[in-house]
Amino acid sequence: MNEPGAPVQIKPEQAVAEAAELGQKLARGAELFAKLRDDEVKIATTPKDEVWRQDKVTLHHYRPLAPIAVSPPGLIVYGLIGRYTMADLQEDRSLVRNLLELGVDLYVVDWGNPTRADRWLTLDDYIDGYLDECVREVARRHKVDEVNLLGICEGGVFTTCYAALHPDAVKNMVLTITPIDFHADMEQNRLGHGFINLWTRSLAPEDIDRLIEAHGSLPGEFMGSVFSLMTPMRTLMKYNLDMLEVMDDDKKFLNFLRMEKWIADRPHHPGEAAKQWLKDLYQDNKLINNAFVINGRKVNLSDITMPVLNIFAKDDHIIPPATSQALGAKVGTKDYSELPLPGGHVGVFVGGKSQALLGSGIAKWLTERQ
Amino acid sequence: MGPAQYMKALAELWGQGSQNFMAAQQSLLRDMAERFAKAGGRAPAGAPANLFDPAAMAQANEAFGRLWSAAAELSQTFARNFQQGKEPDPLVSGLLGRIFDPSAWFAGNEGMDAALNRLAQGPRLADMWNTERQMLAAFNAWTALRRRSLEHNTVMLEAWLQAASSFAKLLNEKADRKEVLGSWREVLALWVETANRVLLETQRSEPYLKSQRELLKASTDLRLAQQVIAEFYSEMFGYPTRAELDDVHKALTELRREVRALERAGRERPYREARRSVAAQPARSEEKPS
Repeated sequence: MNEPGAPVQIKPEQAVAEAAELGQKLARGAELFAKLRDDEVKIATTPKDEVWRQDKVTLHHYRPLAPIAVSPPGLIVYGLIGRYTMADLQEDRSLVRNLLELGVDLYVVDWGNPTRADRWLTLDDYIDGYLDECVREVARRHKVDEVNLLGICEGGVFTTCYAALHPDAVKNMVLTITPIDFHADMEQNRLGHGFINLWTRSLAPEDIDRLIEAHGSLPGEFMGSVFSLMTPMRTLMKYNLDMLEVMDDDKKFLNFLRMEKWIADRPHHPGEAAKQWLKDLYQDNKLINNAFVINGRKVNLSDITMPVLNIFAKDDHIIPPATSQALGAKVGTKDYSELPLPGGHVGVFVGGKSQALLGSGIAKWLTERQ
Repeated sequence: MGPAQYMKALAELWGQGSQNFMAAQQSLLRDMAERFAKAGGRAPAGAPANLFDPAAMAQANEAFGRLWSAAAELSQTFARNFQQGKEPDPLVSGLLGRIFDPSAWFAGNEGMDAALNRLAQGPRLADMWNTERQMLAAFNAWTALRRRSLEHNTVMLEAWLQAASSFAKLLNEKADRKEVLGSWREVLALWVETANRVLLETQRSEPYLKSQRELLKASTDLRLAQQVIAEFYSEMFGYPTRAELDDVHKALTELRREVRALERAGRERPYREARRSVAAQPARSEEKPS
């Protein structure tokens, strides 16, 4: 390969230097691996207390890290794909900590670990059942009629539906990386963006029914593999190239492992709810068309009359910005604002620049609307 | 490697892989017939035999494995040559594309699929052969999954070849511009960037989406066919079946839903009554003469 004129010309001394560097990294990495235990790779460490439970769903109240300056309290609602721990990945990359330190009183709902026994749970159960119970519990504990909702990704869809169906229970709604128009990925058609939208549309509705019939759920590992497809080379190189880059640095290596821990913790999505998610929303795009039905009531986006802050990631390949921004033209409030942040889907929460802007942006917006 | 060598390697890969697979299938069918004969007398038309022949299955698997390994090796050879900056011959590339057309390769298996389907869907004779029929359905589903998997891998392999070709082209262009990559890291970065782009383009293509959809359907079908067998044995030995458990869970979910609704109604009743009472009070006071 080192023929004269060939494009790849690596000098022997360069090769030796690279090999030596690689050897040092591997040795250091092996040392780190040997002394690290799994329970040392902790995520979601911000102290909180369980205050309510029903079936597998639990509601937690974070202990304040500063005097409460924002009211009413906020409820973080993550989706059923992935877990809320993304919002509190590690101490210096935590939306939860950032908000607590800015005086926001915070709760989070944990949907637990659905199994095949939860196959029959629908989005109606999650939105009009469990989420409604959580909102009422927070309101009851603080003697208020309304709470602030902070929805993330699929959880943002839950909060959007909830806010439209129960506008009198929501003071302000903050959405982060939330799909509303599930076909808007076709607007920009960026390479590598919106693959889940395209992939789901390529399936026949009966394919989805049979998948759920066979598994009883949308298996977590299955969705994990679909996410991996979205960054094919990144996935292929992750455990050699990416890990090699960080394995001689304690801090970076631990960050890498924490992210891996979050990725590995991917609960199964209850079957009937998954059918609604994939067929009604991804395939039939009912939410943006005010045709999505929860407990016999149509979700009409114009019924969202409280202030809305819609946050999206400018390079989000999972939820392309246009799919989120579509909400603006549909809500019934004039107090609608957007906060575009640099980075991708997960980068919003853990990226150095974005995660700082995210916490302060939300706290400032809420403070102005107490 | 010259064009002739490429052709030879591909012909060997193609021929050997398909022969092994067909041989494995034929051995399986032969074994089915022998077992019928040993079981005594003639089997009814369309009735399946005992299909669990691990050796034949292993052989079929091995054939697929060999095919894949040979293809991967060929791709690596491609990559090695391209990396040396040799210009690929478009005529040869076109020919390779046609030879590597998976539809020709799968045409040889259509008869086999039809035969297996006839066995699985043949006329029913009361309770005879029901278990075997279920086993055969599972085997059919397994065969379909292997086939869909191979089809999908072929799409991916084509993408790989395309990525390798693009990579070689980029290297050649760099050479023309007298640019050099001075470290393996730079070489790797260029490869990752190129391959990522090709893979992402492939994922948006109809052949990729179609083969992946078929693969998903095949894996679902296999799981459902296996569940039919599991249901049969669960019933036979008095264990709860998956369907029965699903029924129980459905009833439980519905009951919980009702309990939630009742609790909510119970909570809201006093609240509504209180609001009605508050709303009614000013009206009464207004009725009183001042």
